[in-house]
Amino acid sequence: MASKFDHDVIVIGGGPAGSSFARAAAGNGLDVLVIDKRKELGVPVRCGEGLGQAEIIRQGLDLPRSCYSTEIVGAKVIAPNGKSIVWKGSQTSGWVLERKVFDKWLCELAVDKGAKISSYTRAVGIVRDGKGRPQGVKVSHGGREPYDISAPLIVSAEGMESMMAREMGFKTVHSLYDVDTCYEYEMKPYEHENLLEIYFGNKIAPRGYAWIFPKSDRKANVGIGIGGLAENGSKLGGVTGADPKTLLDTFVKGNDKLKGASTLLDFGGVISVGLPIREFVKDNCMVIGTAAKQVDPIHGGGIGLAMEAGLLAADTAVKAHAKKDFSRDTLFEYEKRWRSVTGPTLENRMKLRKVIEKVSDDDLNHIFNTLTEKDLNDVMMNNFAPAALKVVAKRPQLLAVLRGLLPGK
Amino acid sequence: MITIKHDGCIFCVGCSSVCPANAIEAVGTRMKTYPEKCIDCGICVKVCPANVICMYKGIKDWKDLPEGAK
Repeated sequence: MASKFDHDVIVIGGGPAGSSFARAAAGNGLDVLVIDKRKELGVPVRCGEGLGQAEIIRQGLDLPRSCYSTEIVGAKVIAPNGKSIVWKGSQTSGWVLERKVFDKWLCELAVDKGAKISSYTRAVGIVRDGKGRPQGVKVSHGGREPYDISAPLIVSAEGMESMMAREMGFKTVHSLYDVDTCYEYEMKPYEHENLLEIYFGNKIAPRGYAWIFPKSDRKANVGIGIGGLAENGSKLGGVTGADPKTLLDTFVKGNDKLKGASTLLDFGGVISVGLPIREFVKDNCMVIGTAAKQVDPIHGGGIGLAMEAGLLAADTAVKAHAKKDFSRDTLFEYEKRWRSVTGPTLENRMKLRKVIEKVSDDDLNHIFNTLTEKDLNDVMMNNFAPAALKVVAKRPQLLAVLRGLLPGK
Repeated sequence: MITIKHDGCIFCVGCSSVCPANAIEAVGTRMKTYPEKCIDCGICVKVCPANVICMYKGIKDWKDLPEGAK
């Protein structure tokens, strides 16, 4: 029997979440359409482009050489006084991507599995049935006259903007407290050590950090992200607000290894460092990836999490399709699984973020003097207690701030 | 309402992601604003990494903007 719908699923957004969903759902026989409003998938780049290898390996993918700029072996975190700790371990390998190539590659994998992708196609509204349930999307291709496409399941993988998720009733607007605003240059030359360099300090980057991510051919992404509530800058119209660019220029000037380096690209963005939204599914619709704020609250990284959510949601969508039941109850399986597998990790990371943002530069220097690479590894693996105990033993006045990371809490 | 200096905008959609009134959206290759929805909260101005957004409190229409702001 022919379906009354044009497709089984419409995915809004062709980033890592949407294309991973499409690959998995189409691979299991669903008719999937992905629409992306950008003229070119993956453009513009809005992030530092770092990705750990865990999720790529878990999904059995073989990352082509063209998708990444350089491999990384670990990270180096640097205290305000310049003291650094290098962290290299089994979990620290990864890549600094070429997002533009990477995003397109993921989309092509989805196409290979039978999904359809339509670029420069913007969702302008949600089509609903008599009970208000989503049954399709009104789209405009290249700004032309809008038309309706129908499907019994709509997946928002829209990233930060998430306009259609909002229209479907999800609370995806970001608060200033839960975003970092970032400015970044691609620079050359920079002699790097295949390590992600992270610089902490309230002076360098209030409630945030500066980073130097290595790229190929002596290039690097050099950026700063600061809390959305920062008031370090004078914005247009006499308003004070967060100004990462001025801080980035100061940071670049103060770094001897970047003296005389050129800027090859300006980019930036606002990243989410909050907790996931309260619900991921409603009747006939799901939200995945950064649109659902499935991001790491420490650094806002979301590529691996988006790919993971895409697969989980696709698994549920395939079952819903087989049952011809797209009710919230059926779709909730995706949310339940995500919240039991990944939710607790991100909640722990949020705890750590809330501690880091209360620590002064002097305390940070002390903490870096106390901790070893092993301690840092524990912290990154969400085992906070050993490091927190060590710090408090040497500086008891930090007990109040670190209390949340101690055992039993 | 707000105005956006498009020649400095890096098209990061940060303003749109924090706008509680759905008054800014990426359309084509630019950020588009909907002055009739804007509630003059200024959150987008504070967060804009490129510092290209300017708020004109109380103004609801392009034609009422001061000279030089259009």
